[in-house]
Amino acid sequence: MIKQSWSSLISPLLLVMTSVLTAGCHKDDFLGKNPNSSLVVPSTLTDFQNLLDNDQVMNLFPALGEISADNYFIDQSLWQSAGTRVQNAYTWEKDIFDGEGNDEDWNYPYQQVYYANVVLDGLEKLKTDNSTIATYNSVKGQALFTRAFGLYNVAQLFAPVYDAMTAATDSSIPLRLSQDVKAPTVRSTVKQTYDQITGDLRIAVGLLPATVSMTYVNRASRPAAQALLARIYLSMRKYDSAGLYADSALSAHLTLLDYRQLNNSGLPIPFSRQNAEILYQSSFVNYQDYSQVLTGYSYFDCFVDSNLIRSYDPNDLRPSFYYFLLGVTDSFGLKGSYAGSLFPFGGLATDEVYLISAECKARAGDLNGAASKLNTLLVNRWKPGTFNGYAFTTQQEAFDTVLSERRKEMPFRGVRWSDLRRLNKEGANITLFRKINGAVDSLAPNSIRYVLPIPPDVLLLSGIQNNPR
Amino acid sequence: MGVIKLAVPLLLVACLFRSLPANCQPSPLITLKEINVPLQKALEDIRLLTGYTYAGEATWVQYSHRVSFSVRKAPLRQVLDSCFKDQPFTYEIIGKAISIQARPPKELVVHGFIFNEKREPLEGVTILVRGELSAAAVTRENGEFSIRTRFADDQLLISSVNYESQELRPDDSKDMVIYLRERVGALADVVVVNTGYQEKSRKGTTGAFDVVSAELIDRRVSTNLLDRIDGVTNSVLFNKNIVSGTNQSAITIRGRSTIFANPNPLIVIDNFPYNGDITNINPEDVENITVLKDAAAAAIWGAFSGNGVIVITTKKGRLNQPAKWSFTTSQTIGEKPDLYYQPILSSSDYIDIQQFVYRKGGYNGQLSNFQRGAISPAVAIFDATTKGLISPADSASRINVLKGVDTRSYLNKYFYRQSLNSQYSLNVRGGGPRNQFFLSAGYDENKSNLVRNLYKRVTLLGNNTYMLVPDRLELSTGLSLSTSKAYLNNVGTSNVGYPYARLADANGNPLPVNLGLKNSYIDTAGGGQLLDWHYVPLNELKNSDNTVQLADYRVNIGLRYIIRKGLDVHIYYQYGWGDSIGSNYQNLQTYYTRNLINSYAQNSNGVFTFPVPMGGILDEQRNTYTANNARLQVNYQDTLFRQGLLNVIGGAEVRDLEGEGRRTRLYGYEKGVASSIAVDYATQWPQYANNNKTRIPYYDVNSANSERYLSYYINADYTYLGRYIFSASARRDESNLFGVKTNNRGVPLWSVGGGWVISKENFYHVNWLPFLKLRITDGYNGNVDRSTSSFTTAYINPSGNSYGAGSATIANPANPSLRWERINIFDAGLDFSLRKDRLGGSLDYYIKSGQDLIGQSPLDPTVGLTTFRSNTANMVDHGIDLTLHANNMIGPIRWSSVLLFSYVQDRVTVYKEKIGPVSTYFLTNVINPFVGRPLYALYALQWKGLDPQTGDPQGVLGGKVSKDYGSIVNSGNLNDMVYMGPSTPRAFGGWRNSLVWRQWGFSWNIVYKFGYVFRRNSIFYSQVYNGTSFGHSDYQRRWQNPGDEKMTNVPSMIYPIDRNRDAFYQASTVLVEKGDHIRLQDVQLSYELTRSAYPRLPVSMVRFYLYANNLGILWKANHAGIDPDYVSGMPNPRTLAIGMKTDF
Repeated sequence: MIKQSWSSLISPLLLVMTSVLTAGCHKDDFLGKNPNSSLVVPSTLTDFQNLLDNDQVMNLFPALGEISADNYFIDQSLWQSAGTRVQNAYTWEKDIFDGEGNDEDWNYPYQQVYYANVVLDGLEKLKTDNSTIATYNSVKGQALFTRAFGLYNVAQLFAPVYDAMTAATDSSIPLRLSQDVKAPTVRSTVKQTYDQITGDLRIAVGLLPATVSMTYVNRASRPAAQALLARIYLSMRKYDSAGLYADSALSAHLTLLDYRQLNNSGLPIPFSRQNAEILYQSSFVNYQDYSQVLTGYSYFDCFVDSNLIRSYDPNDLRPSFYYFLLGVTDSFGLKGSYAGSLFPFGGLATDEVYLISAECKARAGDLNGAASKLNTLLVNRWKPGTFNGYAFTTQQEAFDTVLSERRKEMPFRGVRWSDLRRLNKEGANITLFRKINGAVDSLAPNSIRYVLPIPPDVLLLSGIQNNPR
Repeated sequence: MGVIKLAVPLLLVACLFRSLPANCQPSPLITLKEINVPLQKALEDIRLLTGYTYAGEATWVQYSHRVSFSVRKAPLRQVLDSCFKDQPFTYEIIGKAISIQARPPKELVVHGFIFNEKREPLEGVTILVRGELSAAAVTRENGEFSIRTRFADDQLLISSVNYESQELRPDDSKDMVIYLRERVGALADVVVVNTGYQEKSRKGTTGAFDVVSAELIDRRVSTNLLDRIDGVTNSVLFNKNIVSGTNQSAITIRGRSTIFANPNPLIVIDNFPYNGDITNINPEDVENITVLKDAAAAAIWGAFSGNGVIVITTKKGRLNQPAKWSFTTSQTIGEKPDLYYQPILSSSDYIDIQQFVYRKGGYNGQLSNFQRGAISPAVAIFDATTKGLISPADSASRINVLKGVDTRSYLNKYFYRQSLNSQYSLNVRGGGPRNQFFLSAGYDENKSNLVRNLYKRVTLLGNNTYMLVPDRLELSTGLSLSTSKAYLNNVGTSNVGYPYARLADANGNPLPVNLGLKNSYIDTAGGGQLLDWHYVPLNELKNSDNTVQLADYRVNIGLRYIIRKGLDVHIYYQYGWGDSIGSNYQNLQTYYTRNLINSYAQNSNGVFTFPVPMGGILDEQRNTYTANNARLQVNYQDTLFRQGLLNVIGGAEVRDLEGEGRRTRLYGYEKGVASSIAVDYATQWPQYANNNKTRIPYYDVNSANSERYLSYYINADYTYLGRYIFSASARRDESNLFGVKTNNRGVPLWSVGGGWVISKENFYHVNWLPFLKLRITDGYNGNVDRSTSSFTTAYINPSGNSYGAGSATIANPANPSLRWERINIFDAGLDFSLRKDRLGGSLDYYIKSGQDLIGQSPLDPTVGLTTFRSNTANMVDHGIDLTLHANNMIGPIRWSSVLLFSYVQDRVTVYKEKIGPVSTYFLTNVINPFVGRPLYALYALQWKGLDPQTGDPQGVLGGKVSKDYGSIVNSGNLNDMVYMGPSTPRAFGGWRNSLVWRQWGFSWNIVYKFGYVFRRNSIFYSQVYNGTSFGHSDYQRRWQNPGDEKMTNVPSMIYPIDRNRDAFYQASTVLVEKGDHIRLQDVQLSYELTRSAYPRLPVSMVRFYLYANNLGILWKANHAGIDPDYVSGMPNPRTLAIGMKTDF
């Protein structure tokens, strides 16, 4: 009896002993197991695409420009309850951070740059063959696009406007081109900044897919890269290049929304995120202080600038799509974004490209061309049968009309601040005013306050110089 | 008791009388020392010294015992008395001759019972006749014994491992009833500590251990095992105010020595770390709990031991014991919790504030046409009055009605009840000459004090040991099963955003409340095509169907092969499996489901379609773990250098813990039919109420994780001369930490220790302190942080991005120099015990220093990340643990007490991240280490009273009184804030007393916490204005008129309000209170009957008890009426248990 149980025990005993020993022998296999199924060391094209597809990081757009621009005003009570940064940016104070160390408007774009650098560094180590080259190129193009868009957006807030005369010496934003966290942060010049951005984008144009994906509007495409180049060259006042890239984007993608067909009845936000005009999705950073001011349909709301409201023709459909009459006042509030969300859209869309093309044509003296681009766009924006079409006789008329239509078409799209910087540089002489506490603040054309101060944490930890204010 | 006391003087008297006649003769004085010599040798020596000869019957040499004595100038008779003590002879001095005579034997048969102080029969107690080792008896299960002795003046020697020995004279005239006293100072002697790797006597260790016996575990009544060690173990702190997001542990042992890594102590059950839910363990099955505190005690657990180790051992059988059945049951009734404990605003005050805000236009945004959010009833009335829809008189009367409504009265009536917890446990233990067994079954059913919440648990445990080959091979098996189901249908609140919601009408019919969307909208929306869109709290309670089921089993197999005496090999294997299934079925009647269906409803020219199908929604979350643990261990024990004892264990261990999680949601689910309907997750659907476009919520997620460890360990103890103890241990752990190269995976950790039993030294002559031991240990424990990696890692977002593609977030940047955390513990301890254990205890002083702790370093945000986790932080803890056991009163009433005192002070010594502005330190849900301060500390802003003109709070900015709240709370100068103290208790412990008188037992436990602060609540207007808080009754004491600032610190009410004004007041010093308090935790009264005392009792023992818990605060430092253990929420209600334990 005992013998029997003794022998029957030998085998499990041996089993356990062997398993302990073999575990020791195959230590690397045993300890090599991935501890968490949802963690990876990014190393494949899929991993890289996943990083680029993180829309919570990659498709965010800084909001301080719009906060500082003249599309809206807020009343005393909203201003009082708004966050420090909004209060100060609204009245263009010298120090807008007032003790707060971090700024989402700086952090998110540089996070995009970091992600893009992780992808670009990783792609260097990847071998490609015929079956993967298309994906490889697309991923690389998207990374270059994202890095350029991030750096451009930071430059609109924290670097002076591009001036060909002084660009080589004007101090601009730091350019980070590798994922190494130990690499020093150094300010570049405005010229270096724009050379890097446009250089990256020109490479991206050659790599990116030729068509816009209607599903994945968070991903860059060749038309999106061309549209971005058009936006950037416009801000640099290189109107020839801007016009060229605008037209090439339009040659691939000309779809426009027809507001006459769009259902606007009882629907607060008539647009969808994947609407036909969107080339690249980007939404304002959803930071509480900002969303409190700029969100459509919120408890507290900004008032749309009354001059802007008055500039629309009664037959123009756009105001009814963009704004709503606030119940207790005579002012208009913001319905929501052009991309269907409550928070503004800062991405790229065909309407902007039409307007860039029209502006560049007007500046080049191609009055018919400018009118044609505008008319193609605007016929979709007016009540059926009411829009007669523009025909220009003077360049000034074409120019003024284009700029006025640009303002009416694209409020709260994150471009007004850049436009103010650029147009004032050319002598537009636009002064901004704010009324708070009965006092009136103003921002003079070409003021150094058009360049925001660098967030305190960045100054402290990198040692770079702040912008003069 | 009395028997012993009487027996001793009687014996003395007997001796005196016996030697009286010989005293008449003059006697020579003798100086002689004999050690363990035959009687004959002693008598021969005496003859040589004195000339007295000796003679006796021929057999006396054969039957005599050896003697030992040492005398100086003692009379002969005294010397002979020592020689003949315990001999089966007497002597007589006749002239100069010693005549040895056989004693007149008087054969006795002594019969009796032996009990412990609680009158429980003691089994297996040895009874010896002094000097006659062949005569021995052992008590039976009922404590009964009988023994034969040959002489009436024999001594019975009664001894047992866990009880103090006694000597007494046999008495055959009646049944002897003997009570043995438990060794309370067990500390010094027989307490066995279990490290999870070996059991050893506490005496032979150098480490700091705390042992909780089964008796102490049974003292409390609770379903959860860990509740039972709260307040009865030293240096173990149960945190009652855990703040989410700050990585706090519910239990800390000797303070805190990590920041971001795992803060929880390791819990070991039957040799291996336990991975399941501790609520799966039935406390009735636990034999003892050992807490390992210092390096020598815990280092054997290596990289898991940094936060201390709690070793739980389940009950086992006993050799040579007939099966003994035992049944325990208890019923615990709990009061309803006190809903009025938190002093929120009265409904009347709340509505007054709403009116104030309404008049200032603060609800205009909400009221405007495009807002569809629900509006609270009072605001709706004010608005209707303004619009002329109702008359001012009507309005006033309606408002007055609302002012009289308090939602809490409805909650009290419909949501809460008295709780009733029932426990039943049946077990049997015993064994034969070669096997031991313990089998138990338990059933718990807890009716929570929340209506419709219930908890049921069934546990089964079987532990068996078989000696397969005598003295060679032993097999032990353990099987543990536990299943439980919790019904969580009641969350205890109505979810309504105003405090005057009426939940039912006078007849108890459920009423809707204003929640979600505006009533005027939902009354008409959809023109009857949509589901009812109202929220009715009482119906929610009725329809809720939310359960969590736990299942857990463990299989233990152990084999011990004894190679030779002192050398054996153990193989242990444990398989553990557990899963938890959370199931939340929200049927079509629930608000969640109705709201979701309505929100996604699509109206195409009056034709309604429903992308979220009509039907219930079933959410299931299932988490499973599988643990495989195996250990091969060699135990070696031998003498070394003659009087030394060496004890070495060494082994290797492999652990594999695999976890899997799955979350699913089924739409259109009908319970019973178990059918569901597919939905379109891809489309962005415009929401019915606001046209926001969103997809249907998708919750299906799978996850898997794996923890693998390979460990090697060795532990050696050497005891020399029973008084010098040396110990050393070393362990190496390797794990599958992410992306770490194999050679960096491991961490070697070690400990050394020394112990010195001073009282055993020859030079030690302190009579009143018969036991004194000094211990000193030092070594390293470790801690694992599984969240960091040396490579750039990315986290795959389980639900992808919002476009239906995958998505990944960078979890951490590359960190090639990543290491494991190490915690150095130095411990110096003193164990002592006074004579007869009147007072005993231990005192430990320790220093814990955490090195290479994972900390955050700040990064220039331009890098793309704002912080970086790496081994950059250090912390130091100093502490004292004092345990005192006292037997205050011995006699018919026995009173004993245990005092526990722990003091621990932790301090962050290195932390690289710059944190600021000061407002960061007032965020509650993040850890903000500050060099030189405890990890969890409270900071506040200087308070300069209220502005006499406006009632505005005043602070300090740049050294001047200021009302620039934004700058004050955002100040980058950390010197602007005041350190108020630690937020976890520095000193804590308990004072437990027990009284035993006959069958009655009475005990109570007083616990205390000192040396910490907390921040109390007050009225923060902006939170009331925006409806996120019900405010605070401090509102009543607010500043209203100039002069009030002298009586109050509560700021005036203004609108609009700067959020920072509230933030400043909230962070100010005036709202910080001391947490110090003393609490009467519990009281137990018991009555016990035994068959020996009551022979007609049908069972061998039955014990009844009453146990009252959470009795309340005896003293507290704060005057704000706040129980510091319950700063938010409600105090645990008082409970009363009635219970019974029966041994058959």
